[in-house]
Formats: sequence, structure tokens, C-alpha cells
Amino acid sequence: MGLFDFAEVGFNVDNGFLEGLTRGFKNGVLCKEDYRHLTQCDSLEDLKLHLQSTTYGNFLANEPSPLTVAVIDDRLREKLVVEFQFLRNHAYKELATFLDFIKYSYMIDNIILLITGTLRQRQLSELLPKCHPLGIFDQMETVTIANSTADLYNAILVDSPLAPFFKDCISEEDLDEVNIEVIRNTLYKAYLEAFYDWCEGCGGATAEVMCEILGFEADRRSFIITINSFGTELSKEDRAKLYPRRGKLYPDGLTELARADDYESVKRVAEHYTEYRKLFDGTGVGIGEKTLEDKFFEHEVTMNVNSFMQQFQYGVFYSFVKLREQECRNVIWISECIAQRHRSKIDSYIPIF
Amino acid sequence: MGSLFRSEQMCLAQLYLQSEAAFACVSKLGELGLVSFTDLNPNVNAFQRKFVNDVRRCDEMERKLRFLERELKKDQIGVYDNGDNPPAPAPREMIELEAKFEKLENDMKEINTNQEALKKNFLELTEMKQILMKAQHFFEETLPFNDDDTQGGASEYARLLDEQPESKLGFVAGVILRSKLPSFERVLWRACRGNVFLRHAEIEMALEDPVTGDVVNKSVFIIFFQGDQLRNRVQKICEGLHATLYPCPDTSNERREIAIGVMTRIEDLQAVLNQTEDHRHLVLTQVALNIRVWFIKVRKIKAIYHTLNLFNVNIAEKCLIAQCWCPTNDLGKIQDALRYGTEVSGSSVASILQQVTTEEQPPTYNRTNMFTESFQGIIDAFGVSTYQEVNPAPFTIITFPFLFAVMFGDFGHGLLMLVFGLVLVIREKFYLAQKSADSEIWDMIFGGRYMILFMGFFSMYTGFLYNECFSRSFNVFGSSWNVSAMNFDAVTLGNASALDLDPVTPGVYRGYPDNYINGSGYPYPYGMDPIWQSAENKITFQNSYKMKSSIVLGFAQMLFGLTLALYNHIYFKDRLSIICEWIPQMIFIWCIVGYLCVIILFKWITWKDPASAPSLLIGLINMFMFTAPSKADGTFLYTGQSTVQIFVVLMIVFCLPWMLLAKPAVIYYRRRQKANRYAPLKSDSSTTRGLENPNFAEDVGKSQRNYNLAGGEMADDVPIIEQDQLDVESNSIQQTEPDPDEKDFSEIMILQIIHTIEFSLNCISHTASYLRLWALSLAHSELSEVLWTMVMHIGLSMAPPAGPIVTYAVFWFFAVLTVGILLVMEGLSAFLHALRLHWVEFQSKFYKGQGYAFLPFSFESIIQGRVDE
Repeated sequence: MGLFDFAEVGFNVDNGFLEGLTRGFKNGVLCKEDYRHLTQCDSLEDLKLHLQSTTYGNFLANEPSPLTVAVIDDRLREKLVVEFQFLRNHAYKELATFLDFIKYSYMIDNIILLITGTLRQRQLSELLPKCHPLGIFDQMETVTIANSTADLYNAILVDSPLAPFFKDCISEEDLDEVNIEVIRNTLYKAYLEAFYDWCEGCGGATAEVMCEILGFEADRRSFIITINSFGTELSKEDRAKLYPRRGKLYPDGLTELARADDYESVKRVAEHYTEYRKLFDGTGVGIGEKTLEDKFFEHEVTMNVNSFMQQFQYGVFYSFVKLREQECRNVIWISECIAQRHRSKIDSYIPIF
Repeated sequence: MGSLFRSEQMCLAQLYLQSEAAFACVSKLGELGLVSFTDLNPNVNAFQRKFVNDVRRCDEMERKLRFLERELKKDQIGVYDNGDNPPAPAPREMIELEAKFEKLENDMKEINTNQEALKKNFLELTEMKQILMKAQHFFEETLPFNDDDTQGGASEYARLLDEQPESKLGFVAGVILRSKLPSFERVLWRACRGNVFLRHAEIEMALEDPVTGDVVNKSVFIIFFQGDQLRNRVQKICEGLHATLYPCPDTSNERREIAIGVMTRIEDLQAVLNQTEDHRHLVLTQVALNIRVWFIKVRKIKAIYHTLNLFNVNIAEKCLIAQCWCPTNDLGKIQDALRYGTEVSGSSVASILQQVTTEEQPPTYNRTNMFTESFQGIIDAFGVSTYQEVNPAPFTIITFPFLFAVMFGDFGHGLLMLVFGLVLVIREKFYLAQKSADSEIWDMIFGGRYMILFMGFFSMYTGFLYNECFSRSFNVFGSSWNVSAMNFDAVTLGNASALDLDPVTPGVYRGYPDNYINGSGYPYPYGMDPIWQSAENKITFQNSYKMKSSIVLGFAQMLFGLTLALYNHIYFKDRLSIICEWIPQMIFIWCIVGYLCVIILFKWITWKDPASAPSLLIGLINMFMFTAPSKADGTFLYTGQSTVQIFVVLMIVFCLPWMLLAKPAVIYYRRRQKANRYAPLKSDSSTTRGLENPNFAEDVGKSQRNYNLAGGEMADDVPIIEQDQLDVESNSIQQTEPDPDEKDFSEIMILQIIHTIEFSLNCISHTASYLRLWALSLAHSELSEVLWTMVMHIGLSMAPPAGPIVTYAVFWFFAVLTVGILLVMEGLSAFLHALRLHWVEFQSKFYKGQGYAFLPFSFESIIQGRVDE
């Protein structure tokens, strides 16, 4: 963008209301104090009572007792969806595209979920409730008829918004479990790259904030793919193809990752990067230790919280959705711990504020 | 003093309620709505409180009621409202209610499931019928060969059949949402590579979705294909897009037979459906009769348990301890309620109400009725008055509409507003009963109906004085100006468009009584002489008049505010502030604004010769420059003026240090004395209130905050503190008296500086601010005049026959603009300015507004949803 770029000046004309709204929503995100109260609850009824005093208000008031975790999960998700749909319905021009980009990741998840389910001979009616409501689109449910990726693309996805991400993984091979993982990651890679480039094209504060967050997302995927690939039949060349080519690891880190054979070598790659070294330090699966996954989540939460520090940019919308999602995960985790009387691990949620 | 003048005297009381009597007592207090309970367990989580389970039961009951309410809404059955207000049922009745709701909910759910199943069935059959009908149609026009294979026909499908004689064309038929049809078609074509043939037709009638009850539009489709693989594929796509498939036989005879069967089944089903509907309706009508009462009952119980959760539980003595604020005057009523509650519950031990002394500032409670409510609302919107300070609301009742009217003065506009207000007031009961109109704007207008009435009335009064009615004047008594006395000749009269009337010429102005020069009669008996309406210099004349009267009115109001400050000082026994603040303020304002008002009045009353009228503005400026007034520059008013004015200016200058330094000096002096007196103690005692300890105020605050907690425990140990009512009273006075020891000296000094600067500057700026009375009034009269001359005048000045017609047409335009611009917009702007004059110019003289409102625990407000428990 040019030197005399005053995108911020007009920002509020189109997006001011929604940004304000989102910041308001963000103020409703549960804080440490709330989580402390939640972890003290003895039953889900207590949890409901406490959530009533937060911005969630009476969202469980119309549910008959006894409450189940599944119901809470549904309601939490519903709230996020309602908020997101409101934003999307009022969004204008670029913001609408941006919000659609957020939706695409859920679409990818849903498609993969459905294909895997069909491969395992599950009924469509059983799979549908598991799909994320943000990622539902018209042709989604017909993916079950596809036998190969080419089929999938030509018959169904060609006029869905996911089509551009799909061009890398078209092949005549039949779908099987390994294949699907590859498809998922290829899709994700294409999606992340497209989203990253779009944000970069936006310029200004949006690029600044979003490239940081999406870059991290890309790097996290690269790490996770590498670690998960050990002991599978995935070849190193194929693996390297799955790495999203954005973020801090690209290009040197990715080349090294492509050569990695075990967890230690992955860790060595991470040593070169200050942010990631911290994450790999002191992780483990023992009691009191945090898993690498949790560390990644924590880092993500910090980045998303920081994104609210900047104004006149789209990052707040992305961050809000991600924070709400994390909050849902936290509440569900706590509810599960309460419901299963498994209190020792109740504190392993990821606090946001 | 009446209760309106100051807020109600409040006292903090502790209630000792027997566990079994607590529910009944709180229920009685809730009906009474005179006490506000404080939370004695602020550190306990919501779900760890004692009665949390009961609250939960109430939540559950409320949920069931809400479910029933939704069902009522779905069937559009109105809720029966007979205005009953049942008392909160006893706890044992709660079980009954619970059982009743449980049964109703289950009944309702069962009916719903049945109905849903039936409706689903019905929907399927209807769709089936549609398919059979449409399929018949499709086959008739496209597939003659299907009935008669041997003919081979001309249709392309038959030719297709010919090419591959061994395979047979299969087909499926079904129904799909009309909105999904395009994407269905696309997917089908792509997935089957164009090897299927789709025909579809819209179902004309709208179908009802059995689950959601929404009305949906659907289409019938029929797909032809070849081979089993394609059949699988097609079926999967149908499943994926939520299309329902129905079996459809090949031959038309079979189809006809099935169709007949379907028809009879539909008829049967319709009968059953109607019966279910009737049953449902019966149950719901019963519910509709009672649901309102149930809601009230449950909400009351819930509110009681919520309140009980605020109490301290004393397990040893089996009693609950509550702490509450209540008006001292109503202690008798509260005692009665407690006694009654105890009796109802059959408890043997009486409930005890015990007054407690406290350092906390009591809440502010101003009793209002329908009339005073809106005026009190205006005051509270600025800030709830500090406990027991003078409440400006009663004065606002008159001053607010009056100041509004000064800006809005027009007889006609005032009349319209008065009529509007009257309609609202007279039909008050009707509108109050209509709670359904949940519009915020309407609530605001309706809430201020008495204010509108008064504003209308006062506007008529000022309009009368301004002699303006839709910008026209009434000439009731005849003008006191006489043109013929000027002795113009016919030529002058005939040619001139405007003529000068010289009041000095004898007989022209009859306004002066006989003993005055040129006096020959009396001025117009009230307000403006109607002749000004046609005068060219009307605005100049009125400006001078309105400008000056604005300043006089403003001074009067500010003076009144300052007088109220005196009442506050006397009431709080603050002699220091009277001597060191109030007296110099009074002198200051009299010298600076009061003197101006005096000379304005002086000039109005005594000046007779228009040619040599003095200029007050220049005079005022000269006064501060110490220039002696002289006739030459038109500043001379009376003999000895120079001496008086020098004295006035000197007084102003003298008052400044008085206001600024006297109070801090006295406080400083007192403190030094006190410090000297306690000096020997200071070294060894930590209890001394050290002047140097700036944290002291904070400590006091902390101990006050902890008081709530300590209150409960203290009551456990100390049985009953003997406390006279008088003591409480004196205590509250002592406590509200500003204790200078609490603040750091530099802070006092800074505050004093700010106050002094603020007051002295405000005396001038606020006076100037009152000029808005003139400005708005000018704007209003000009606007209405423009509206008259530009709109109404056009019609009225035309000759018949066009004149009356145009007048009729133009009148509506005039009427709409009058209401829209002059009444609504101008009214709002005058309202805002009157509001500002009260909040800023008037109240800044005496009003602190640092109190907090008394929010009593009252069922009435809880049921109306005003308080969220």
C-alpha cells in the first residue's frame, strides 16, 4: 500500500458499528474470576447458575433438568453462531469476504467429517449434528456420493466457495483414511495461503495483525503435521507438500522440518525461533505439565487478545471468533470434568483474560 | 417540611426472623415495598447460598410456564388478565404448583409429539397425493410407451430404449424444497454426467413443516435414469439434499388405485388431527386462564428466596438475620407486616426489628406520586440527591414549565400542547391498562404527561403575554397607539408603505397615565400591544424587552438556588459554610448580576424620554473601568451613581478573597488548636487521628465497607443494642456534616480554589446562559411568523373562488408543519434548554447530587419487570 494510504479514515463508515459490537462481545468473554467460580461448581446446575450472572445470561434457562454437557455445548455453539451470523449479515464488502474466509475453515472441517463418516459406514443423520453450524453449506451433504477427489470436485464442490482450494488435491484415487488426512491438510494449506495473501493485500493494520496470527497458524500446522507423521506411511516428500508456505518457518524452517525424523529434530528446528522455543520448552504429558497442544492454544489466545489492541482492522473479528471458540472449549472441558467427577484435571483450561 | 422538600429520613435496621416465619415476613415486606435489604454474604458464591435449591425450583417452574406461554403464543390464544394480584403462596403450596406445572408440561409435550407425528403423516400423504397427481401428468405427456411398450412411439425416451433394449428405464419420484431445486438439479446433472432426466412441478399449495410449524413451498420431481448404479447415486443425492422419495408405481391404473387409498387416509387423518387440535386448544384455554396468576406467584416465591439468600443464617438460634434500610416514618408499618407474617406462619417467637447506628450514608428516598414522578425523574436523571439535602423537584414543578414556556410562548401552540396533555391525563387509566404498547418513546411521552399539561398551560400564559397565537396578535382592548394624532395628510398616508409613530408627539402614545408628559390614558392592559405585530421594528423592540427579562428571570432563579443552599447549610448545621461561603456568594451575585437587574428595572420604571435613554451595556462596562457615568455617553441613570458603582465593584473584589481564603483559614486554625490540645497524646497513641496521615480517610472508608460483614457477626454476640430513635437522628446529622479532619489540607485548599473560581465565573457565564430564553423565544416566534406568511398567508390573500380552495389545501401543509416543526422539534429544543437551565444554572448553586437511590424490595416492581432479580 502506498505512502498516503488512509484506509483507517473510512474504516468506521463501513465497519465501525460491527467493530464496536465485536469489542462489546469481547468484553463479555469470561475472565479468570469467572473460571475460578466455574471450577468450584459441584454440578452442572451450579454451572448454569453461575453462567447466568455472566453475559451468557439466561441462555440455558429454557433447558429442562437434568442438564447434559451436550446441551451446554449446543447452546454455547448456538450463541457463537448467532453472534457471527449477525456480524456476517451486517458486513459490507471486504469485511464480508473476510468473515467468509473465517467460515471456510469450518466448511473444510465439515466436508472431511462427512467423508470420513461415510467411509466408516455411518448414517448421514448421525453425522449431521456433529457438523459445525458455521460451516454448513448447501451442497455439503451430497459429498457422500463421491468416491474420488476428482468426483468430489467435479460433482459437488465446483461451485462451492471451497473450489479454489481444491485444485491441488484432485486425483482419481479412491478415498481412504490416509487420503482424507492428506486432503484435509492440502485444503487447509491452500485455504491458509489464500487467506494470508488476502489479508496481506488488505494492507494496513489488518495485514499486520492477521499475517501474524495466520502465520502462526500455518507454522503450528507444519509442526503438528510433522509430529503426527512419524510412524505413518506418509513419505517425506508428500509431507513437505502439506506445509503451508507462509509464516515464520517458511522457507528455511520448512526445509529443515521436511528432513525431520523424530520429535527431537522437530524441537531443534523450533530452537531457531524465539517464539516457538518457548512453546517446546517444558512440555510433556505428565501431571502438571502442559502438552504442546495446550501451549499452542495459549499462544494463540495471547495473539488473539493482542489483536484487540489495534483499531481499524479486521483482525478483531477473527480473534473474537477464535476467543469465543476457546471459551466454548473451556466451558465444555470444565463441564465434562464436573459431569464425570474428574476434578483433578479441571484446571487445565486455557484462561483468556 | 413536607416529604417532597427533603428525602425521607432513613434508618438501618436489623431483622431477626425465626426460620419458619422468615418466608411469610419477607412476603409481607415484599407486598409493602418499603425496605431494601443489603447483602450480608457478599463473599458467598451464588450457588453456595442457603436457598439456592429453592431458587432453582422456581427457575424450573418458570421455565415450564414459559414453555406453556410459548405454546399459547403459537396458537394465538390471549392470556386472560383480570388484574388479580395473588399473595405469594406458602412454601408448602409450592409443591402443589410444581406438580401441576409438571403435569401440564407433560400433557402438552405428549399432545405435541402426537400432533407432530400425525402432521408428519399428513404431510407425507399430501406429498404422496401430489406426486401421484403430477406423475400422472408427466407420464401422459412424455412416456406413452410406458403404458404400451410395443408401439415404440415417437418420444425420444422410447428411442433411447430402443438402442439398449435389454436395460429398462428406472425412475424415482419425490418432493424437495423449492429453494433447493436449482442446486439439486445442478448436482444431479454433474454427478450423473447428464445421464438422468429430471422433471419437476411446483406444488401450488403451501405445506406446513410438522416440526417447526413453518409454512414451506415444495416441488414434486421425477427422475429417470438407467441402471442400478445411477439409481444408488440418485438416491444418495436425494438424501443429501433432504428430498423425500416416495414409491410410485409404474402403471397408471396402480397409481390411480393408490391415489384413492391415499385420499381416504388423508380424510381419516384430517379427522384425527382436528380432534387433537381441539384437545390441545382445550388444555391451552385452561392454561391461559391461570398462567398470569401462576407467573406472579412463581416470581414472588423466587424473589422471596432470592432475598432470603441475602440473609445471615444463625444456626444456633434458628433465626435469620437481615439488614435493611427503611424509612423511619414507616417503621410502624414494617413492624405490623412482621407481626402479621409471624402470625400467618404460626411461629411462637416474634420477629424483632432493631435499629442500628451506622456511619454509612443512607439511601435517598423521595416519595412520588403519578404527578410528581416525572419532575423527580428530571432531577434524578442529573444525579440522585445527597441524603436529606434540599430536593429541587417541588420547585421544578413550576419553574420548569415556566422557563419552557418563556421559550415556547405562543397561545395557539400552547393550547395544542395543553389539549394533548389533557387527553393523556384524562385517558390515563385506559393507557395504563394498555401495557402491551412497549414503545420506549411512548412511555417517555406518557410518563411526562403532567409535565406536558403544565408546559402547555404555561405556554398559553406566556403566549398571552407575548400576544401571539400562531404568530398573530389578538386586539381585545384596542391599541394604545393612535395614528390620527400624528396628523398625517392624505398624500403621506396614501403613498407611504410605513409611517413613523413618534411617542413624544402628544396623543400618539396613550400609554402613560394622565400625570405623565403626553399622558392621556393607560397602556395596553396586558402584555404586548397588538400594534407591534404590524410594526417594522417589532424585533428590535421585543429583543430588548425579552433580553432584559431573561436576565431578570435568570437572576431570580439563581438567587432562589442560592437561598436553597442556605437551607442546606442550616439543616446540616454548617455555620462555617454560611459565614465563609454563602454570605460572600450572596453579596457577590447581588453586586454583579443583581445590580444589573436593579438598573434594568429602574430604567423600565422611571425612563420616559426615548431620545435620551441610557445604554446599560456601556454603563456596565464603564462601571468596571471606574469611568464616571455621564449624560454625554448615555450612561447616567441617577445622582450618586458613581459612588454606588465604585462601592459595588469594591464589594465584588472584596468578596473574592473572602470566599477563597476564609474557610480554609478557619479550618487550618481549628486544626492547629486541636493538634496543640492533643499534642501529648499524639506521640504514644496510634488511635489519634493524625493530620499527617493521608491514609486515614481511606481507612475510614475501608472500615465502613467492612461494616456489612461485621454487622452480622456483631449481632450474634451482642444481643440487642439499646438505641433511641433520637440518637439515630442526631447521628445521621453528625455523619453528614462534613468532617474536615478527614481531608488533607492541601486538598481542601484546592477544592476551595476550584469552588471560588467556579462560582465567580459562573455568576457571569450563567447569567449569559439565561439569554437562551430570549434566543429561543425569538427563534420560535420568527419561525411561526415565517410559517404564517409563507404558507397560510398565500391562501388567505387570494381572492375567491381560488382563495378558499387554496386556503384549504395550504391549511394542511400549515398544520403538518406547525405540529412537526413548531410543536415537536421546537418543543424538544425548548425542553432541552429548560432542562439545562435547571441542571446547570439552577442546581449548581446548591445541589450536590451524590446520593444513591433507595431501591426497595417490592413485588410490584419485580412483577412488572422493572427490577431484575
